[in-house]
Amino acid sequence: MDVVVCLRRVPFTQEVDLEIDKGQRQILAENLAFVLNDWDNYALEEAISLKERTKGTVTAITVGTEEDEEVLRRALAMGADTAIRIDSEGLTLDPRNIARLLARVIRGLRFHLILTGAQSDDLNEGCVGAMLAEELGLPHASVVNKIELGEDVLEIKVELEGGIEEISTIKLPCLLTIQTGINEPRYVSVMGIRKAAKKELKVVTIEELSLDKEALVPDVYVERLFYPPETGGAEILEGDPHIVAEKILRILRERGVIS
Amino acid sequence: MLELWTPKYLFWPILLIALFAFLRSILSRIQVLRMAQKDPRLDHLKERFRSLLLDGIMQWRQPRYPFSGILHLVIFWGFVVLSLRSLQLLSYGLGISILSPFETGAFWDLYGLLKDVFEILVLFTCLLSMARRLLFNPPRYKGSHEAEAYLVLGLISFLMITDILFEASYCLLAEKNELSISQAMAIPFLKFSRTSLEVIYNLSFVLHILAFLFFLNLLPLSKHFHIITALPNVFFRKLKTGSIKPVRYNVQDIEDLEYSGTKYIYDLTWKHILDIYTCTECGRCSDNCPANLVGRELSPKMLTLKLRESIYKTYPVTVQKKERPNPIIPGEVIGEGEIWSCTTCGACERECPVFIEYIDKIVDMRRYLIEQGQGPSSFNQVFINVEKTGNPFGKPPAKRADWAKEAGEIPVRILKKGDQVETLLFVDSYPSFDPKANEVTLSVVRGLHKMGEDFGILGPLERDSGHQVRRMGEEGLFELLREKNRNLLSEIRFKRIVTIDPHSFNTLKNDYGLQIPIYHYSQYLYLALENGRLKPKRVIREGTYTYHDPCYLGRHNGIYGEPRELLKGILDAPLREMSKSRDRSLCCGGADVGLWYEVREEERMASKRVKMALEIGADHIVTACPFCMIHLEDAVKTMGLEERLMVVDLMGLIDSCL
Ligand code: SF4
Ligand code: SF4
Repeated sequence: MDVVVCLRRVPFTQEVDLEIDKGQRQILAENLAFVLNDWDNYALEEAISLKERTKGTVTAITVGTEEDEEVLRRALAMGADTAIRIDSEGLTLDPRNIARLLARVIRGLRFHLILTGAQSDDLNEGCVGAMLAEELGLPHASVVNKIELGEDVLEIKVELEGGIEEISTIKLPCLLTIQTGINEPRYVSVMGIRKAAKKELKVVTIEELSLDKEALVPDVYVERLFYPPETGGAEILEGDPHIVAEKILRILRERGVIS
Repeated sequence: MLELWTPKYLFWPILLIALFAFLRSILSRIQVLRMAQKDPRLDHLKERFRSLLLDGIMQWRQPRYPFSGILHLVIFWGFVVLSLRSLQLLSYGLGISILSPFETGAFWDLYGLLKDVFEILVLFTCLLSMARRLLFNPPRYKGSHEAEAYLVLGLISFLMITDILFEASYCLLAEKNELSISQAMAIPFLKFSRTSLEVIYNLSFVLHILAFLFFLNLLPLSKHFHIITALPNVFFRKLKTGSIKPVRYNVQDIEDLEYSGTKYIYDLTWKHILDIYTCTECGRCSDNCPANLVGRELSPKMLTLKLRESIYKTYPVTVQKKERPNPIIPGEVIGEGEIWSCTTCGACERECPVFIEYIDKIVDMRRYLIEQGQGPSSFNQVFINVEKTGNPFGKPPAKRADWAKEAGEIPVRILKKGDQVETLLFVDSYPSFDPKANEVTLSVVRGLHKMGEDFGILGPLERDSGHQVRRMGEEGLFELLREKNRNLLSEIRFKRIVTIDPHSFNTLKNDYGLQIPIYHYSQYLYLALENGRLKPKRVIREGTYTYHDPCYLGRHNGIYGEPRELLKGILDAPLREMSKSRDRSLCCGGADVGLWYEVREEERMASKRVKMALEIGADHIVTACPFCMIHLEDAVKTMGLEERLMVVDLMGLIDSCL
């Protein structure tokens, strides 16, 4: 089975005190470290393990700058056969335009299945997958947490509200967006990535896709980013852990969370 | 000598066949060494010869186990002395006289006496060793080839007996009287007829020669190969403890390798294979291995024996099979449970009488597993955190110096590129972020401040030293960290580095190749105490103390005295040694794998250690490593001993006296 997997590099924001830039439209990224989006990491592992099971191929694609190639090298190190970066050429792209760019490239590829992460760690919009399926006219399912191979179809599992599980079949070719926890992504060592740096990585420009840069203006535009004003109601508990634990217990009882 | 009944032409073919078989075995063993990876071991020749003399020939490590050590010394020296005798007998059988120029005069008389003494001593020692094995077989022999041990002890005894008989019958037949001991040995045969004596004379000679040649051929096939390989193995030993070998020697770009680490037998270095040939199966390594002691899957001796079996099966000395098996070492020959159980404490290597190495071998297996994505999955996030944020917690680098806010009015200078300072305090990740370790960091800072030291830290620019990730097998990540730290250090001017954690100390000192003095705080403060810059204001009078040697301070870097001297400087209370201390200190659980991977064990190493402190009536365990403190304190809590035992860091204790 030939799988295309779409990846995105996102900032590593754990415990970071994010700063908003002066224009109030962006987060300051200078001091941030970047990693492969967690959901995409699961999608990538799924793609690689499907490749291993079915003796197919994996193509990894990202839209972005040269720095974003890091995620493609990770994919190559993990076992992807081809890696393509669509050069974003300094444009701010919204999900629809990202989907359009991806669709242009993927149309020219041989594939049975497209995987993306269910959402990205930074913007949490969760729509590139669905939009890409639409662009390509493919059936699609979101937030998939299990994939079984069938004859020309896939059997997939999705968790619904309230813990209900749903199993469906979906016709190939199709697009699935992947939920975390679907597998256990393997570790890619630094040496593995260094070795993968020697493998070929294709770069495609917007012009080569016969798209007009002007036409890629976003439909959605961030007006203002800000921290909400501080409000009361937060109580900071201090003291040694025993006392803090007792205080928490008391509050939980008072509020009727536990009896 | 008297004429033998056996014609000379009988011995020649026997000797040639035996030598041919022996050489064949040896060549086949050498062939594997030649196939193995490079491992340059010809540096520091003076030190090597010194070690050969002290550790190889004088066998200084043997008496660490007094009884068996002395038995071994006697047998070893017996071999040295009697080798000349063997040569003499052999040449006698062959009818050539290579030794005849020496076989006269006072030297030879003296040698005859020495030979007789040693033959009796060796015989007695062999019998004693067998009796000891029979009566109180120490547990460290479990899994060794015990039948072989008896066979060899029996063979040596047989060699001694046949030569004693030969010599005694010779004395009577030749009516020689000058050698008192041989004479004494001849007493039981005084009444024998000449014919019987001749039978004894000839028979014992032939049996002795045959046994000797059989023994020679047994060597390369058994654990007694060490009789040949031990001295070279000691000579080529690893001299620099604490360091880890590179992925491959003599390979410039390790990216060009198909894989890193040890996958197949021939990925081992020749020295590591020589190690495996040399193991005497004495079990001293496992007897001191903390992993083995707490019931983890690992026993270093068994690791060597499994590798040996695999090598001997794959490359047998007999007919070579066409289809050679090619076993995968990590995961097949050596289980992953064994590979991840090691804390790299170094107790095995410190104990082994023939200097067999374990840590490099195990790390090389880990390197393979990690690069293949077969490591424990709990490591993944740790490695990614270290790569992306420079610390295993994934905390933002900007917060790396946040602990300094607790330092009160003490100014903690955060260095920038181009700055100059006397002492650079390399804090490392745990002492930067872990709340317990933070306390140690703060007390070190207070100590330096009181000494009037001009010091600074690297703050957000510092990255993890990489000690842990290197020993966990993530070599690429280690190289990345080392490169970034080294570049940073090259842009700041300083006279020395002081570290808080013995692990950072070890890695900066042994893995970084820096040309600047590096101290653990205990060494640096000891110097300050000596020259009066550090003046404790009070001494501690209450309590009974014991000092726990951290592996990477003691065993790996030989720092035993300084922490104890510092303690004596502030204690007016008893300081006792635990049953295992100094270079036999028991690892607390380690600072790498164990922090992020639950290894199956019957007991925690730290609780074993805590019990040892209780045994000697200590109520304070002092240590000089944040990880020891964390592990030991944890054990004290889970054992419910908070009332009876306190774990304190050396620096914390000193701080309280300043
Ligand atoms: S280094 Fe320590 S834990 Fe590892 S095998 Fe040797 S003694 Fe055991
Ligand atoms: S490795 Fe060394 S200590 Fe361990 S059994 Fe072999 S010879 Fe003895």
